[in-house]
Amino acid sequence: MDLTLLPQALVSGVLASGLYALVAVGLALAIGVIGIVNFAHGEFFMVGAFLAYQLFVSFGFDPLLSILFVAPVLFVIGAAIYSSTIRFVLKAPELNQMLLTFGIGIVLQNLALMVWGGDPRSIGGVPYRAMGIQLGGVSVGLVPLGSFVVSVLLVGALYWVLARTPLGRAMRAVAQNRVGAGLVGLEVNRVYLVAFGLSALLAGIGGVMIAVIQSPTPTVGLAYTLKAFAIVVLAGLGNIRGIVSAAIVVALAESLVATLVPNGDALRNAVFFALILGTLVYRSWRRP
Amino acid sequence: MPEPILRAERLGRSFGGLAAVQDLSFAVEEGEIFAIIGPNGAGKTTTLDLLSGLLEPSSGRVYLAGVDVTRLPTYRRCHMGLGRAFQVVQPFPEMTVEENLMVGALFGERGTPAAEAERRVESALERTGLGHLRDAPVEDLNLLQEKRLEIARALATDPKVLLLDEVMAGLRPGEARQAVELVRGVRDSGVTVVFIEHVMPVVRDLADRVLVMDHGRELARGTYAEVTADERVVRAYLGEPEPEGA
Amino acid sequence: MRRRGLWLDLLAAAVFVGLLAGLPAALRAAYGQASVSYLALGIRAVGLAVLALSWDLVARTGQLSLAHAAFYGAGAYAAAVLLKLTGAPLWLGVPLAGAVAAVLALGLGAATLRLYGIYFAIATLAFAEVLKTVVKSLPFAVAGGSVGTNLPPLFRPVFVAGEMERWEVAFLRNRGYFLVYLGLLALAVLVSVLVQRSRLRYAFTAVRTNEAVAGVMGVDPARTKLVAFVISSVIVGMLGAIEAHRFGSVNPDATFSVHTTVLALVTPIFGGLYTTVGPILAALVLSGVEETLKRTLADGYLVAYGVVLVVSVLFMPRGLVGLLRGLVRRERARRAAAAPRAEALGGRDA
Repeated sequence: MDLTLLPQALVSGVLASGLYALVAVGLALAIGVIGIVNFAHGEFFMVGAFLAYQLFVSFGFDPLLSILFVAPVLFVIGAAIYSSTIRFVLKAPELNQMLLTFGIGIVLQNLALMVWGGDPRSIGGVPYRAMGIQLGGVSVGLVPLGSFVVSVLLVGALYWVLARTPLGRAMRAVAQNRVGAGLVGLEVNRVYLVAFGLSALLAGIGGVMIAVIQSPTPTVGLAYTLKAFAIVVLAGLGNIRGIVSAAIVVALAESLVATLVPNGDALRNAVFFALILGTLVYRSWRRP
Repeated sequence: MPEPILRAERLGRSFGGLAAVQDLSFAVEEGEIFAIIGPNGAGKTTTLDLLSGLLEPSSGRVYLAGVDVTRLPTYRRCHMGLGRAFQVVQPFPEMTVEENLMVGALFGERGTPAAEAERRVESALERTGLGHLRDAPVEDLNLLQEKRLEIARALATDPKVLLLDEVMAGLRPGEARQAVELVRGVRDSGVTVVFIEHVMPVVRDLADRVLVMDHGRELARGTYAEVTADERVVRAYLGEPEPEGA
Repeated sequence: MRRRGLWLDLLAAAVFVGLLAGLPAALRAAYGQASVSYLALGIRAVGLAVLALSWDLVARTGQLSLAHAAFYGAGAYAAAVLLKLTGAPLWLGVPLAGAVAAVLALGLGAATLRLYGIYFAIATLAFAEVLKTVVKSLPFAVAGGSVGTNLPPLFRPVFVAGEMERWEVAFLRNRGYFLVYLGLLALAVLVSVLVQRSRLRYAFTAVRTNEAVAGVMGVDPARTKLVAFVISSVIVGMLGAIEAHRFGSVNPDATFSVHTTVLALVTPIFGGLYTTVGPILAALVLSGVEETLKRTLADGYLVAYGVVLVVSVLFMPRGLVGLLRGLVRRERARRAAAAPRAEALGGRDA
C-alpha cells in the first residue's frame, strides 16, 4: 500500500462525492416528498448527459452553458412524466411504482439508444478537460473540481429552498403528512409536480458533468439509479441532510480502495456496495 | 395463593432519554377482567407491547403463568397462551373472515392439525357472533365487525390471557354495549382479560380491578369505585365524560 | 375444503405441463425448420416463468428481494466451477447449484431479518453486487476471473446423415433444453401450489401484512421469511446452472447482471403478485409481446415494450390475474342483476 498516494485519494474521493450527492439528493426528493420509488431516476441523469453532448456536437455549447439549457428541459420532462403517469400511482403499492418507473426507464433508455446508438460518448473537445492545478503534492483536475463546486452549490441551494422558501416548506410539510398538508389547503399535486421536476433537473445537471468526466453510454442510467438508491437508503429515508455525509463516505471509501489497494479500481463497485450492506445490516441489529 | 396468570415485575422501557414506562409492577389473577387506564401518553400501549413481546423492556420482567417470558419473542408467548388484539385492526387482505381466523388457529399453538384448527375457528366465530360473516371478504366489514374480527383472531389462538387495546374506540353507544357483552362472554368462557380503555362507563361495567397509569408509572389501583374516588386520579385525568345514553 | 383445492390445482398444473411437453412436436409438425427458433422462444418464456415464479415466492412474505441475480449467478458458477475443477458428471452441477444458492440465501436472509421495505431491497442488491465482484476476483484457475469460463452443453444430438435434416440437430437440442426447463417449471409450480394450499400460505400472508400481528398469532416471522428465501433461491440457482450450460459460458458481468433481477420482479407484478398463475401467464405474454414487437418494429421495439409496461400498471394495477378476476366478478354481478329481483341496486358488486 503506497501511502504517499493517500492525500490524492482523499481529494479525489471528496471531489467525486459531489456528483453522488447531487444525484442522490434528487432521488431523495422524489422518495421523500412525493413518496415515489423512482427507478427511472438514473435515466434523467443519462438524458442530461446526452443532451449536453448533442449541444456540444451540434452547436459547440460549452457544458457549463449547456447546464442552463438542460436544467429547464429536464424539469419539463420530469413534470410531464409526473402529470402523465406518476400522478396515478402515488397511492399504489410500491411494487407497482417500481414497475411503472422501470417501464419509463426502459422507454427513455431505448429512445436514447435509437438516437445516439450504444457507443460511449463524451464531451472530449473541451479545452479545460485535461487541465488541472497542483495543491501541495496533489493534482486536482479542473473538471472534477468544477463538478464538485457545481454539485455543492446545487445541493446547498436545494437545502436553502427546503429550509427558507414557501415552496420548500410546502415540500417538507407534504413529506411529513400528506393528508394533513392537503387539509390545510396546500395544493399537494402542484408541490409534487415541482418536486419531481426538480428531482429530474438535479439528476440532469449531474449528467451534464458526467459527460465531460467520463464517457457514458445510454445504458448507464440503471447503475446510477441503483447507486443513488443505495446512498439515499444509507442516509436513511427522509434524511435529506444525511445524504451529503453518506455520499462523502462512499466516495471516499471507493477512492481509497481504488488508489491504495493493488488492482483496487476493479473493486470500486464492491467497496461501495459492501459498505452499504455492512452499514444497513449492522444498524438493523443494534437494539434501539 | 394461586400464581397470577400474568405478572409484570418492575417493568421499565425508555426511548432515548424518555422513560415511557417506569418501575411498573402488577399481577393479574386468572379469570378476572383487569383494566389499565390513564391519560394519553401514560404508557398504556407501551405496557401492552412489553407484555406481548413487541417491545423489549429496558428493565424488569414479565411472567406468564409463573414462567419468565421476558426474553421470549412474541410468537412463543402466543404459543404459551398470550393473545393480543390491536387498536387499529389490520386484517389479512384478500382473505375471508374465516381465513383470517385460520392463521391464529393454525399457528396459535405448535403443531395444530387442520381439523383442530377448524374447530377453533368455529368456536371463535361463535363467541364473537361472526358466524354469518365467515365467508365475507374482510374488506367488506364495518367498524364493529372489524373489532369483532380482531378479537376473534386473538381467540382463535386459544389464549389463556387476552390483551385488548381500546376496543371501544369509535363505537357508538349501542355498539359499545354489544362489545361489552362480547368481552364478558370471552371472560366467562375462561379467558383472562386485560384491557386498555378510555371510555369510563365501559371500565365501570367490565373491570374487576383497575390500574391507573400516569407518566409511565402506577398512579393508583383498586376497584373502579376506589380509583375514581382517588383525588390523584381525578386530578391527573378522568377520561371521556360519560356519553349520553351510556 | 383446502384438500379439494390442492388436488384440483395439482391436476391443472399437470395438465398444463403435459400440454407444454407436447409443444416441441407440435411446433415441428407445423413449422418444420422454423420451429427451431419458435422453440428457442419457448425456452426463454419458460425460463422467465421459472424466474418470475421463484421471485414471487419470496415476495409473498413481503420481502422485496433484489438479490435474485446473485442466486442465479451463484448457481451458474457452481456448475461451471464444478466442471472446471472436477470430472463430475454434467448433471451434478444442477443440484449443487441449488445447494450453493440455498446456503447463500440462508446467510443473506439471516443477516437481513431486521431490514424491511426498500432497506431490505437495497441490502440484497448490495449483496448481489458484492458477490459479482468477489467472483470476478477469484483465482483465474477457479472461475476464470473477469473473462469467465465455458461449460459444455447438456445435449449433444448427433447428426445422422440420411435419417434427419441438418436443422433437426438444433431442434433436438432445443427440445432437450425445453423439456429440462419445463421440468424446472413443474417443480416451481409444485412448490408454489403446495405453498398456496397449505398453512404456509397463511403464514406468508400474515408476515407480509404485518410481522407484529403475525407474531401475535403465533407465526415465527424469521423462520417463515427464511423458508421462502431459501426455497426461492434453490429454484433460481438451478435455473442459473441450466442456463449456463445452454449459453455455453459464464462471465461475471453477464451472469450476475442486474437485468435478471429486473426481469424477475417486473414479470410477476405484470402478471399478478402472490399467485401461481400470474407469473407464468406474464412470462408467456411478455415473451410473446417482446417477440412480436421485435419482429414488427425492429429497432426501438424496446421503447414500445416499455410503454406496454407503463400502460399495464396504469390500467391493470392488480396484474393480468387481477384483470381477469375483475372481469369474472363483473360478469357474475351482471348475471345476478339480470335475474329477476326487486330493487336490484344497479348490478354493483356487494
